[in-house]
Amino acid sequence: MTAIDRVAHCNRWRHRSLTEKVVFALGMLLLSVVFPPYPVAVIVLMVTMAATLFGAGIPVRVWLACIIGPVGFLFTGAMFLAIQIDSSGVSLAPEGLFIAGNMMTRALAGFACFLFLALTTPTTDLLAGLRRSGVPPEIVEIALLMYRFIFLLADTSRSMSRAQASRLGHSSKWQQLRSLGLLVANLLPRAMDQGRRLEVGLAARGWTGNMRVLSRTVPLSIPTLILVIVIELVIAAAGVHFS
Amino acid sequence: MHIMEGFLPIEHAIGWLGISAPFVVAGVIRAKRIVRERPQAKMMLAAAGAFTFMLSALKMPSVTGSCSHPTGTGLGAVVFGPAVMSVLGMIVLLFQALLLAHGGLTTLGANVFSMAIVGPWVSWGVWRLASRLGASIAIAVFLAATLGNLSTYMTTSVQLALAYPDVSSGIPGAIIKFGGVFAFTQIPLAIVEGLLTVVVMNALSGRAGKVDEIEALCGEVHR
Repeated sequence: MTAIDRVAHCNRWRHRSLTEKVVFALGMLLLSVVFPPYPVAVIVLMVTMAATLFGAGIPVRVWLACIIGPVGFLFTGAMFLAIQIDSSGVSLAPEGLFIAGNMMTRALAGFACFLFLALTTPTTDLLAGLRRSGVPPEIVEIALLMYRFIFLLADTSRSMSRAQASRLGHSSKWQQLRSLGLLVANLLPRAMDQGRRLEVGLAARGWTGNMRVLSRTVPLSIPTLILVIVIELVIAAAGVHFS
Repeated sequence: MHIMEGFLPIEHAIGWLGISAPFVVAGVIRAKRIVRERPQAKMMLAAAGAFTFMLSALKMPSVTGSCSHPTGTGLGAVVFGPAVMSVLGMIVLLFQALLLAHGGLTTLGANVFSMAIVGPWVSWGVWRLASRLGASIAIAVFLAATLGNLSTYMTTSVQLALAYPDVSSGIPGAIIKFGGVFAFTQIPLAIVEGLLTVVVMNALSGRAGKVDEIEALCGEVHR
């Protein structure tokens, strides 16, 4: 969890305008989902990987660590696309491998686009963008507070887990389950306490129900935005041409 | 079980988004009302959401050797109520996507439907039904969490099957395929989550002092 967040805060494109990054990532995502995967998804995968790894300078290690889990899901899913079952049992489906390959290419490309956004843009920036684009402010504020609480709770649960482990709390599977149950049961009142303390602290400072936070707005670079849109239009043209 | 980014064709992604939208909008309206009546509930809702997120980040002792974590929707629905869970669940799913790289944006609608709508409502319904039928709290909680987890996983299987029907036996065959492959990990997982939730509720009932606060927050119980 912290690895993605850390990278999102410290990468070369951290201070690029949110609009540029969102137009790039969502545009590419749309291209990869709308057009048949060959050649569009392959191009999208290569362009977004290049942007993430070389442009924003995300370490390859972090990128691979993010993609390994979904790839496992993908292989399991793809395996079952390639086979068919009928009255005679299980067999390899005609064109099954082709369908599975298509799906895998598209999913990988889509995931790479999404990962670009997650790895180059901190969650708080995205939430600020959501607020500007008309999501109810109450919901955005709940999400912002939640983001803060997540890290506090993660710290708490890490030290609880360490304390349990050092007292033989993880010695057997059953013990592990019991320890985890205790941890969760202790985490809930603590989370609620945390909420209450924040509320008391704010009330003491005359809080009336609105949270005003300063967010740094980066000026949008028009040439970059045009470049992004041109790249996407070229890929879209390739998609139309080859399909 | 999250469907990863790009796995669903575009029509399915939009369709599931459309199906989930009314539930989420209803949840948003409810959350806005709770916040308007009690501005401090904002903190509590956020704490509840962060807690739900943490549940999904904790590792459960796994039976099959795969890395597994509780879905937390059962516990969340029993404690906070299913209507609020749809909003909190959606934010949690967004954070899981952004912070843990689980799930995605185009599949958010489908994931919200299986994990933030079906799971919580089934858990909550089972919990209410079992308590009304006179089951002990432990059994009611176990059934709610286990069946909530299982219903989530079955919904995901159906979603995958609708997107990729079997070539010869169609959608039913595909449900068997997807349901079957994930059953090996999901059924033991659901049972473990049920046991875990019982341990949690047992430990929590020793701290009953804060229960009414949580109930006021979810707006479900005393209204």
